[in-house]
Amino acid sequence: MTLQEIIATLQAYWSERGCLIQQPWDAEVGAGTMHPETFLRVLGPRARRVAYVQPSRRPADGRYGENPNRLYKHLQLQVILKPAPADVQDLYLRSLVAIGIDPAAHDVRFEEDNWESPTLGAWGIGWQVLLDGLEITQFTYFQQAGGIDLAPISAEITYGLERIAMYLQDVDDVYKLRWSADRLYGEVRQEEEYELSRYSFELADTELHRRLYDSYLAEGWRVLKAPGGRSALPAYDWCLKSSHAFNVLDARGAISVSQRAGMILGIRKLACAIAAAYAEPAGTEADRA
Amino acid sequence: MPEFLLEVGGEEMPAGWLSGLTEQLRQRFTEMADRERLVPEQVRAFSTPRRLVLAATIVDRQPAREEQVFGPSLRAARDAAGKWTAAAEGFARKNNVAPEDLGQAPKDPSRPQELNLVFLRKTPGRDAAEILPSVIASVLRSLAFPKRMSWDAWIDDGKGAFPFGRPIRWIVALLDGRVVPFAIHALVGGEKGPVLVQSGTQTVGHRFLPRGDAGRPLGISSFADLKQTLARHFVLVDPADREVRIREGLKSAAAAPGATDHELVTEWRDLVEFPTVLAGRVPDEFETLPVEVLDTVLVHHQKYIPLRAQGGRGARFAAVINGDGANPGEIVRGMERVVVARLRDAAFFFAEDRKRPLADRVSDLEGVVFHQGLGTYKDKAERMVRLVDAIATLALLGPEEHQAAREAALLAKADLTTLMVREFPELQGIMGGIYLGAEGSQRAEVARAVRWHYHPLSIEEASPPKGSLAGAQAVAFGAVSLADKVDTLAGYFALGLTPKGSSDPFGLRRAALGVIRVLLDFWGPAGKRLNLTDLISVAVEGYSGALKNPPATAAETLEPFFLDRLEYVLVSRGLEQDEVTAAVHTPAVQALSDVHDVLLRVQALHRARSEAREDFEHLAVAFKRAKNILEQHPASAIDPKLFESDAERELHAAVGRLSARDGSYEDRLRALAGLRGPVDRFFDDVLVMAEDKKLRANRLGLLHQTVSLFYRIADISKLGGSI
Repeated sequence: MTLQEIIATLQAYWSERGCLIQQPWDAEVGAGTMHPETFLRVLGPRARRVAYVQPSRRPADGRYGENPNRLYKHLQLQVILKPAPADVQDLYLRSLVAIGIDPAAHDVRFEEDNWESPTLGAWGIGWQVLLDGLEITQFTYFQQAGGIDLAPISAEITYGLERIAMYLQDVDDVYKLRWSADRLYGEVRQEEEYELSRYSFELADTELHRRLYDSYLAEGWRVLKAPGGRSALPAYDWCLKSSHAFNVLDARGAISVSQRAGMILGIRKLACAIAAAYAEPAGTEADRA
Repeated sequence: MPEFLLEVGGEEMPAGWLSGLTEQLRQRFTEMADRERLVPEQVRAFSTPRRLVLAATIVDRQPAREEQVFGPSLRAARDAAGKWTAAAEGFARKNNVAPEDLGQAPKDPSRPQELNLVFLRKTPGRDAAEILPSVIASVLRSLAFPKRMSWDAWIDDGKGAFPFGRPIRWIVALLDGRVVPFAIHALVGGEKGPVLVQSGTQTVGHRFLPRGDAGRPLGISSFADLKQTLARHFVLVDPADREVRIREGLKSAAAAPGATDHELVTEWRDLVEFPTVLAGRVPDEFETLPVEVLDTVLVHHQKYIPLRAQGGRGARFAAVINGDGANPGEIVRGMERVVVARLRDAAFFFAEDRKRPLADRVSDLEGVVFHQGLGTYKDKAERMVRLVDAIATLALLGPEEHQAAREAALLAKADLTTLMVREFPELQGIMGGIYLGAEGSQRAEVARAVRWHYHPLSIEEASPPKGSLAGAQAVAFGAVSLADKVDTLAGYFALGLTPKGSSDPFGLRRAALGVIRVLLDFWGPAGKRLNLTDLISVAVEGYSGALKNPPATAAETLEPFFLDRLEYVLVSRGLEQDEVTAAVHTPAVQALSDVHDVLLRVQALHRARSEAREDFEHLAVAFKRAKNILEQHPASAIDPKLFESDAERELHAAVGRLSARDGSYEDRLRALAGLRGPVDRFFDDVLVMAEDKKLRANRLGLLHQTVSLFYRIADISKLGGSI
């Protein structure tokens, strides 16, 4: 199964189970969780099911396209089931069957791995799903987002697409993955990995990124507090951008330990304020949904 | 007697929780069933990651209860005419009987002649089936999880929202095969919603086995039936059965002796419902990787047990899977691939790191913050070097010993900047030692000191690095270990970040224990002593540049902190608390001036006292009495001419003999037993508080000399004792 077939199969699988198939968020994010479909929609009472692929950027993990397992940018397939149905684990396991993994022929396990995002004021309880010792999925029952206790509880299923594809295709180098019938992952992305790694380790202007971090946060607050409300989503875009600026600085080693805590707190405060603004005014969440 | 069976099943709980939860389940059920007079017996609890199981015998029905309810006294029950009073009639009415039907009995058993009206209230027992639902609710509610989660659940026990460890998906609750009704509802908008889980007779087997027949509900009627049915469906409910299967698996994987006792076995047992052990190979290309690195990847990251050929390096590992292993080839290949990917990373780090000598990395430590306000690791390394210099002076280290410790102190933290330690932080220290050893430019004791300086980490006397270091290595290791820990303690105490209650985020208690253990177990036996109080003040001064106002109190709060740790170590070694207190808190010696000497004194006291327990008890009481008197009255020098009685002269002579006595602590303390007679006679025959001031001061002087006789070893008055 090629990478794109895996994605198509999983999307079809979740679409048949009532998921809205969304598109990736069009800003740099570190994880699929940061997509507003997850971070904001898990707030409030409305039921919702959604699935989407999200390219996730981790500048510090960039390896110039040379490491067979680590990537500056990798693909996550994210599923949110709100509220989490009682058979959520079975639904997930059947999705593995759909892409050709027979759990009875392998060792598939749910091992404790709780998730926490200090920048988003979010955490959850859950597992890493191991397939013959390989972590292929993060499975989380969201407990809090933006510092707000959640009810109902959403289940978040995050598939690590490259890893699953490497397993299914039996290759041990990500760049040797078959993306489509006639293209390898390396042909599609290796140059991009090199250039993005080079940028984040060598070219990125740290002074500019410091200023960007501050300006993005300031703009986020300004927009959020603008009279008339209904500005949580644009404010959140700025929040995501400040988070990415922070990641670029972090990859350059330009942040000391003491600065680090303060900068994470700066993002979290804005993220929490946005979550509160999005969830607070009763009724509007429903209007937006 | 009927059997009660409870199985609470659902989604995977963490392995580390299971044994604690199982025990809680057993205890909570026993307590609550007892309280409800269900007479629980043979209470057994079991667990797998997906279920908690409890089986017990209880009574069908609570025993009926009779109790006497007392009414008014007979005198108040009838008026002068012998008619029932309003009080008596009211009491009868309340209990739905006529006054004539009430009995008479004494309310106060010690006054049998004073009778009251009494009603014998009979409460029929309720059926167990009626009571059990609330017992189940309170037992489940009472389980304490290391971390709970909301899963939108609600139960009808008056408390509503029902967080738990993981979502519950089925419940079997049977009393002699009949369902005990219990329901968990959904929590919707903070209110009770539809039923989520309803108790029944059906359990669930293994997630994937047997092939083609997994996940089907399985009806059961008793615990024995549950156990057998589940075993057929690849679930071993009893952890002991899983452990046996694991050990057998390890044996047949041709594990070298030791692997079957690996610390991972217990965790494996609680990670899976049906364990099967598989073995995989580590490719030869990783032969050159240090064993510590290989083990870190296998044990800590993959939870695999390394299998070594006896005496040599092996290239295999054992892993547990949750299944029957009918298809091992593909599973093992998957596992090997993960191991190889991890080891490739490690091999890359190992090669990259060695491109620079470790000493080059010391300056990189400027970029690594130790703690906000306490500078970088570069600052820490420099402080450690200065502390090693102080230690060399205090402990009279030879020039070679000093030089080796100095080099090791400077290099100790350098491996924090290596790729390997950044990826595998648990290898800190270890990698520094390995890289230095590979460079070959340093003496062995420098590399060994760097390797071990985070230790000792445990209170156990035999824990690492015991047995791994000899002679000069133990001296260098001790100096660097002391310098690191005392520096850390001084810094955090100066910032006021002292451990509080169970919260000790910087591991300061363990650091102080490590200091005590170096002095007791590594330096003491090697004849190295140092004054810890002096070292503490040097360490606190080390922060005078970094902190604007290094609080002078840091040293003062550190001393009692160390004394507490010292007492804790000694007591944990089987010495008695009062003996430890007597030796640590004796007026003539500061315990921290020589920690190893404290150990010798307590051990001597322990042995001497155990030979003459009664004499020591007696003396302890007499010394306490003497100290009480001396606290309020000044003593003077002794003038033997002022003695009036033989008892005084006898005690004075005995004290004189004892204080002139040489020999080991133990010999001298043994002789102390002989003081009992003279002390007793002194207190019997002599009036200490004589009218004559001179006589009184002289006698107080004699008492003072007696109680302080052994202050150099221990304060005998602090021992427990009674007459």
